[in-house]
Amino acid sequence: MISGFTPWVDYRCWMVVARIKALQYSQDVCCRGQAGRDGRVIEATGLTRRFGDFLAVDGVSLRVPAGAILALLGPNGAGKTTTVRMLAGLLAPTAGAATVAGCAVVGDPAGVRARVGLVTDQPGLYEQMRLPAYLQFYGGLYGLDPATRTRRIAELITFFELAEHQRSKLAGFSKGMKQKVALARALLHEPAVLFLDEPTSGLDPLGARAVRDLIVSLKAANRTIVLCTHDLDEAERLADTVAIMHRGRIVAADTPAALRDAATTDTLVEITLAAPTPDAVSVLADLPDVARVADRSPLRLSYQTAQPEVTNPLAIARLVAAGAAIVAVTCTTRTLEDVYAAYLTEEAALPASHGART
Amino acid sequence: MVLMPHDISPKVAQPSTWQALWLIARRGAIESLRDRMTLIISLLFAIGGPVMVVQTVVRFQTAVIGPGEEAAVGRSLAIFFLILGLAPTTGAVGIASGQFAGEKEAGSLTPLLASPASNVAIFGGKILAAVIPALLYAAVAELTFLLNLVWMLGWDGVAFLPRALSLTLLALVPVIAIFFSAVASIVSSRVRTFNTAQQISGLVVAPVSALVILLAFNLARLGVRGMVLVLLACIAVDLIVVIVAARTWRREEVLAGN
Repeated sequence: MISGFTPWVDYRCWMVVARIKALQYSQDVCCRGQAGRDGRVIEATGLTRRFGDFLAVDGVSLRVPAGAILALLGPNGAGKTTTVRMLAGLLAPTAGAATVAGCAVVGDPAGVRARVGLVTDQPGLYEQMRLPAYLQFYGGLYGLDPATRTRRIAELITFFELAEHQRSKLAGFSKGMKQKVALARALLHEPAVLFLDEPTSGLDPLGARAVRDLIVSLKAANRTIVLCTHDLDEAERLADTVAIMHRGRIVAADTPAALRDAATTDTLVEITLAAPTPDAVSVLADLPDVARVADRSPLRLSYQTAQPEVTNPLAIARLVAAGAAIVAVTCTTRTLEDVYAAYLTEEAALPASHGART
Repeated sequence: MVLMPHDISPKVAQPSTWQALWLIARRGAIESLRDRMTLIISLLFAIGGPVMVVQTVVRFQTAVIGPGEEAAVGRSLAIFFLILGLAPTTGAVGIASGQFAGEKEAGSLTPLLASPASNVAIFGGKILAAVIPALLYAAVAELTFLLNLVWMLGWDGVAFLPRALSLTLLALVPVIAIFFSAVASIVSSRVRTFNTAQQISGLVVAPVSALVILLAFNLARLGVRGMVLVLLACIAVDLIVVIVAARTWRREEVLAGN
């Protein structure tokens, strides 16, 4: 594990480590999944699930190609876990259909379960067991023959750096180690698709980073991953596509960059002055393509613009001409968090019957 | 999203129902047998109970036995095969309650439900996991009772015991244990917590235990054929309960209750 670096260098380092691990993983324990003819490993149409009167998932449609990561974002109760459970063959949908790794979740849920791996926020281990026995048990349940089981267990224990803990009971493992065991269990049968339901929940930063490393390496090993998370930064870093869920519906789905672009075209520009300038606000308001001019304090002005590359030089020139001494100019584009908050706020204002945008 | 090249490997292994059932049963049984608290309490029932019965009730009965009363004493002694065997099998209720509701609380049930094991394998495996330790403790109890009888009365004293009645009562112990486990598993799979599962199962188990003991006291009157019929009827009830429960149980019911 690499630590003690500045965040950006640190991030790049763990990406490098993840790539090396991915290469090692793809050589050692890489699986081969089952994609459809068009390369889509997951395809869901109008997936709906009711629990009595409660509509948990409302007409979710999504497509995930092989080797891609889909992040499901949403507040608690948005329907992420229920969607994953339906796609993993654990819950039958009330309506709609889905195909995962070539098997229909309604017609062949056992086939789906045999082809996917699931990790939840709780590792869900049998804590009185020891690691090899635990993996042997699940290897047996996934129908691996004894020789394959033994080989896979040895590979995964080495890969997850758990070799020195083989004689300990799982109860004595740290949360991060338990999550590694859960991931090893999910990977035993070389599944085509991995469903990771808040896999970094409750982990310390290093443990969470180790899990993210693994997700990156699994993607590089051509694994299709559906990731439920509250962590927007995690989603932005890892996912090819982000689907924002609210009240059981997907309210937006696209690449993180496209979501940001679609949510707003404006950049927030903040100008810090050395001294108060009486005409500064009116100077900025007179500029073309500028909106929401505000003086947050006598020394701080802000405005929004769709074309900062054109507007900012003009604004700086006009302000200087008006006698302003400019200390700093900062531009802020929207983060995924802003986009997420905007979508949820917008959705919350709509009546419950409003249709989903996918 | 960009499409990526992907190799297709249609080879996917799935275990047979019986293989999965046995794996689940063996794991559950071993974990129950390794649980220190359950082990201590169960062995206390399985060894302490028979020793106490022999040293108090049997000692008193045999001390005041009159001529011609051997058969009656033998019948009342035989009843203890059922009572002492049933005491540790009630532990199956606790184990079975933990198999679904307890594991659900601990979060370890979801990975099992996410496996390709069939509903029958999971449900049957859970019942068997509860029955195996209960029967082992019951066997210890019966053996302790028998050895104590031999030690106190000698082999001649054991000859008091009516064979048909004793064997029927002994055979009823696993039949009742399976019934208790099945009921507790049905309840456990449909409630949220271990405590609720135990309490509701207890409400079923207590009157059934009383009924069975009442039946045991009247078994001798039915004759050998009657005893065999009663035993077969109890086995049939077991089979019906287990098969109907296993076939109607759906893994999603467990998750839907979360």
